[in-house]
Amino acid sequence: MNLYIDYTTEIAADMEQTIKNELVQNLELNKNRNGVLIMFLSTSNLTKSYNTGIITHVLKGVGLEMKRGEIGVILGPSGSGKSTLMNIIGGVDRADGGTVEVDGNRITDLNNSQLVEYRRESVGFIFQFYNLVPNLTVAENIEVVSNISKKPLKTDEMLSAVGLYDKKNRFPRELSGGEQQRVSIARAIVKNPKLLLCDEPTGALDLETSRGVLSLLQKVNEQFGTTILMITHNSAIAGMAQVVFRMRSGEVAEVAHNSEIIPAERIEW
Amino acid sequence: MVLRKRVWRIIKENKGRYIGIVILILLGSFYFTAATGVANNLEKMVVGFAEEYRQEDLTFSTDKSIEDIAALEDESGALIEAYRQYDIKLPDGELRLLSLSAKINIPAVLSGRGLENPGDILLDPYFSQTHGLNIGGEIELNGKTFNIVGTMAVPNYVFILKNLYDVLPTSGFGIGIVSSADIEAFPEVVTVYSAYFEDRENINGQTSKLHGLLSEKGYSLSEWMVAGNNKRVSMPWANISSMKSMSFPVATVFFLLSCIIVAVMIMRIVKSDGVVIGTLYAQGYRRRELTRHFMAIPVLLSGVGGFAGTLLALPGVRPVVNSMLIYYILPDKGITFSPLNLVLAVLIPVAFISLSSFLFIRKILKKTAVELMKGDEQKAKVNFIEATLRLDRLKFNTKFRIREQVRSIPRLLFLVLGVSAASMILLFGFTFNYSMDEVNRGALERYVYPLEYNFKEVQNLQDRSIPKGAEPYNASRAYPEGRESVEFYLVGMETDSVGLKMKDLGGDQLPRDQVNITYPLASRLKLKEGDTISFVNKLDGKSYSLIIDGIVEAYGEQFVFMPLEEFNRITGHPPGSYRTVLSSHEIDFDESQLSGVMDARDPEAFEDLNMSTTLIVASVTALAVLIAVIIIFLVTSLMIDESRNTISLLKVLGYRGNELARLILNSSTPAVFIGYWLGLPLMLAFGNILYGYVAETINMVIPMIVNPLYVLISFIIIFAVYEITKWLCGRKLAKISMSEALKAGTE
Repeated sequence: MNLYIDYTTEIAADMEQTIKNELVQNLELNKNRNGVLIMFLSTSNLTKSYNTGIITHVLKGVGLEMKRGEIGVILGPSGSGKSTLMNIIGGVDRADGGTVEVDGNRITDLNNSQLVEYRRESVGFIFQFYNLVPNLTVAENIEVVSNISKKPLKTDEMLSAVGLYDKKNRFPRELSGGEQQRVSIARAIVKNPKLLLCDEPTGALDLETSRGVLSLLQKVNEQFGTTILMITHNSAIAGMAQVVFRMRSGEVAEVAHNSEIIPAERIEW
Repeated sequence: MVLRKRVWRIIKENKGRYIGIVILILLGSFYFTAATGVANNLEKMVVGFAEEYRQEDLTFSTDKSIEDIAALEDESGALIEAYRQYDIKLPDGELRLLSLSAKINIPAVLSGRGLENPGDILLDPYFSQTHGLNIGGEIELNGKTFNIVGTMAVPNYVFILKNLYDVLPTSGFGIGIVSSADIEAFPEVVTVYSAYFEDRENINGQTSKLHGLLSEKGYSLSEWMVAGNNKRVSMPWANISSMKSMSFPVATVFFLLSCIIVAVMIMRIVKSDGVVIGTLYAQGYRRRELTRHFMAIPVLLSGVGGFAGTLLALPGVRPVVNSMLIYYILPDKGITFSPLNLVLAVLIPVAFISLSSFLFIRKILKKTAVELMKGDEQKAKVNFIEATLRLDRLKFNTKFRIREQVRSIPRLLFLVLGVSAASMILLFGFTFNYSMDEVNRGALERYVYPLEYNFKEVQNLQDRSIPKGAEPYNASRAYPEGRESVEFYLVGMETDSVGLKMKDLGGDQLPRDQVNITYPLASRLKLKEGDTISFVNKLDGKSYSLIIDGIVEAYGEQFVFMPLEEFNRITGHPPGSYRTVLSSHEIDFDESQLSGVMDARDPEAFEDLNMSTTLIVASVTALAVLIAVIIIFLVTSLMIDESRNTISLLKVLGYRGNELARLILNSSTPAVFIGYWLGLPLMLAFGNILYGYVAETINMVIPMIVNPLYVLISFIIIFAVYEITKWLCGRKLAKISMSEALKAGTE
């Protein structure tokens, strides 16, 4: 199975041009009127607790920043608050305190209806176990998202982009784990989101398949200029990110900026 | 076994759904117990009364008094009794006085005491009640005062019809019994005979023998009615037979619906427990033990539903029987229940539902521990239909809804059949109501001349001419050869008659100088224009044949019309004979010569007094709505449950509440639509079987007339129920959290 496809050749010319234009715009958007660099994603003093009889402080004042078009990786052990942080950034959970800003919008101030709008237009999700709808075909799983997007990309082009055009009428059960995750990526990017949130996207895959998926994500980042924030246990993946956040016990214990980005195909573990 | 605790937990998790299933089973057992209970108790009363108080096998009238009844009894082997009757007009009704019988149709005193003194009278309880008369009170009849000493029932007036051929009781009409001496105080009393055959075998043969003997002795019969065709006697049998015949099939529909939904749910539970079952197998559990564990749910549900339905029906039988005893005047023998029926009401659903569930779960429990522990059973499988469907050209929302529906074929089947059952019940209630209205309306609308005067004896135009604006008719009861249960009126009318409307099926006037048959009778006998109808005249017992020239549009009426002179000729009446006069205006006939007058100028007086069809419609509407709510709720909540992960995921992906509701909840719309329209032919088939049964039992033809307005109203009701149920389930949908998708560890 060849996952390292140069899918740009399969994307229609007009789509390619659109994406290139967006990339240029994205670079410009990282600066304000005075040319000062502004952050695409920033969280400040983010707190979250759960009360299950015992109060558990899951996030204890988390702050992080990412520029537009960057790939960020959050590393940390189980229970460190990675998923909670990602859920709050993705607008599927609410913080108790602190702020989250995405592309200049303060997510933490949005009401439920505005959060739905934010999720449907601005954020793409990729899950560890793919979360495909089992009784919909591959193409229909992608349409789940394009159906509610204002300017969705074409489903067939997305299928070509992830190398699954010939399997568009298959059901998820008929695909391998890697293929299912590629459908999940196609579904996430079909609305051309500004932010792609990936929760352990390779957690259920073997090394070879994982490389393919990560490579695809890297290319999505390059081609679409999509900012990607990825949760992983696997520190080897950190090499493909510009910025790495290490979380421990609900706090960002360390932030590292990689000067050299490793292509996904060369990641080893 | 510790696993037993799980059964309660599983049920508690989805209380609403299990309550819905229990109600469905309960309805089946309730109906079975109530219908068999009412039918058996009514039968017990009817049969007991007929046997104990010697119900007549035959009633007849003759042109002259039978002189030697004892000799006729010896010859015929029948008990024969002459009783006297006299109709007295009252300000708000009419009372028929009957003389006290001793041999046949002996009155049963229901309250108060029997006749002891001159001037004592027993009244039928319904008449007493509607006229505000009490025991100990008095009633004045034609200037003579009677003391009301009690209420009674007589076997030949179980259903109190004024005239033998009436379909429904006449408002304000009732019967009273006085001593023979007291009735003779009224000068115009008439004599009616009743016969009872002591040999209870071959009643028909003995009836024919008696008929022959009377003819031999030169008696002309003006009336001849066997008990089976006498609605005063046979009407309760229509209820008994229809309730008995429908009790099992209707209950079975409920049980089958319950079987499908319980099987679907048990299958889901067992599948989701696949890994656990495999693990338990691995730890040494036997298949039998696990089967018992999973079977506990259907056994429990069906047992509780069956038992509750049976228990609830027990106190319900008495009020239903009481409501029938208002119209059927019978001695109350108390309510008893057949232990066998009670056991069946509980065991049938248990057997049905347990067996179907067992067949479903056996498939999974047969697998090995290793196979089960792989967890394949928990994964959503794509069935053949889903895999075959190619929906590329459709919009996403349409594709999604279709896939939601075909995901579970048993679930879809349950929804379609359930909605069909609810629609069928609803449509049947409305159609029955409308059909009864049409029968009454159609019969009255036939009269151009609204006044019908019926003479006790045959008249002749030479002796008694008829004024302008009126016309003579002659009539006789008859039955097709070999089908005595299909009685009809053979009517002779003048060839220039205008008193009755007579149109063919195309709406064109039919000539009166030919033989015309009403549509319901032609339909029952499968006759068409040009066919020959062979029949037996019930008065002279002779056979006749007529060629049908035209078919009259009619609802329920069973008539053969022919020219009056031809009628008189073939039946041996002198020319100009008639027995009925139809008139456009009131005629001052001598009342003592009339057996009755019908006035069709006031249609409200002919409204259905027997059964409140409004009550029937209200009951069936409530039942249909309840069934529809349960079915739609069960399916929708199951669908929501089966799609929890998808719903949660769609929320994460940015679907709004109303978008999700449209996708998930609206997906059942085509199934509800199909189910509703399937209900219409099913209702017609069911109704035709039931009405055919009623027609054969009591010779009453009820047409199935579907009114498009009621079809529309039923459609609106079913869809209103669907919308309300969706709204209720919408709250369940809203409660599904996004965290379910975020935590999901499946595909």
